[in-house]
Amino acid sequence: MTEIVTPGERLALSAEYDAGTGTCVKDTFICATLVGIKRVLPAGQAEAEQRPRVEVVRSGVEPVVPRAGDTVTARVVRINPRLAAVDILCVGPKPVQQRYSGVIRVQDVRATEIDKVKIEASFRPGDVVRAEVLSLGDARSYHLTTAQNQLGVVYARSAAGVPMVPLSWQEMQCPTTKAVENRKVAKLDA
Amino acid sequence: MPAAEYVSPEGLRLDGRRPKELRQLRAELGVLSSATGSALFEMGNTKVLAAVFGPKPVEQRSQEDEKRAIIKCEYAMATFSTGERRRRGKADRRATEITMAIRNTLEQTILTELLPRSQIDIYVQVLQADGGTRCACINAACLAVAAAAIPMRDLVASCAAGYLESTPLLDLNYLEDSGGGPDVAVAIHPNYDNRVVLLQQDNRLAIETFEQVLELAVAGCRAVSGFMRERLQEHTQALAAAQDAGEQDDVGGGDGEDDDDDVMGVDDF
Repeated sequence: MTEIVTPGERLALSAEYDAGTGTCVKDTFICATLVGIKRVLPAGQAEAEQRPRVEVVRSGVEPVVPRAGDTVTARVVRINPRLAAVDILCVGPKPVQQRYSGVIRVQDVRATEIDKVKIEASFRPGDVVRAEVLSLGDARSYHLTTAQNQLGVVYARSAAGVPMVPLSWQEMQCPTTKAVENRKVAKLDA
Repeated sequence: MPAAEYVSPEGLRLDGRRPKELRQLRAELGVLSSATGSALFEMGNTKVLAAVFGPKPVEQRSQEDEKRAIIKCEYAMATFSTGERRRRGKADRRATEITMAIRNTLEQTILTELLPRSQIDIYVQVLQADGGTRCACINAACLAVAAAAIPMRDLVASCAAGYLESTPLLDLNYLEDSGGGPDVAVAIHPNYDNRVVLLQQDNRLAIETFEQVLELAVAGCRAVSGFMRERLQEHTQALAAAQDAGEQDDVGGGDGEDDDDDVMGVDDF
């Protein structure tokens, strides 16, 4: 049986439950902050999940906003020697509704030999990159990093316009022209 | 209108209502596809359209707030909303005042601190004016915000009450409003001990009668909030049903450009 709740409605006692998404704690009660369906998740084993959690799930689309620590999928729009500017397309598996811009600074491209990184040997405009959100960054853009094995370029087209195949963590090859281009390649299957 | 009685000896008002009766309420959600959330709200002949855009990045960077969302509000009356053509100028001052009332009410209702560095635009348009527009505007805006899935402390419900011919009257229409009596517009958080978030009054009123009128207005707000809750629940139910049906329908649907397909695939492994 699904129970539809509206903002301000009391859901449970805050002493007995944890407040999940779409709820807030008001005095001793957990109250809804969204219109949606009330769900109770049972308590888990972990330290943080001692109590059952109530949450309100919206049936429509919920806004997707990148947060620090999220893995995002982004497309490179511009590069210069200091950074690569990207547009965030997805947060986890969810596509974002509007444009969020991010930057991958040269020191955040890879974990080792940071000072030898060249942006133009790591990313090209049009590449699709998997990255992690470092911080909300400055007022204009999120700061992203690809300094992990599973992060980096996941999709790139060669100069001939053909999707390339990864050779190593630093190289990709065009299947038609056999040209090898440099990228910071993500290690996808792990 | 002759300087006639606002309450007949039988205890009926000009439009046939009892003194403590609301006008007929009607609400429709999600009426505009371009807006994040929208609502059409009617109180009798007063008809208001509200649209919410956002949360989105702040347009003017100097206004950006590190800690909370900023709320922008615009109120307008359609030129065809009143029977007689109104002169502009003075009406604009009124519009600014109502804009402020709506913004104030919603700033207290929306959990702005959950959405830092963002902006929420709220547009309210009066399509037909028959008294109680500011209350209808607040109700419409509240529904639109709820439809936009913006977290709120509580619903906010608004209703006005007046005092004519020694009778407290709920939800004045235009004729009663122009009767020159006091008019108290109230907005409350119904699940928060009826906390009053907005109180505006035209004309003077004795303190004893004020309490009566306020009590009546708050009771009206509670009725309005009950109605709004019901409508929101119905709307959510309809949405959920539509979504379930949609999921069964399109199994192979959603052909994006091939770039985007790859993007989606990235997170699948």
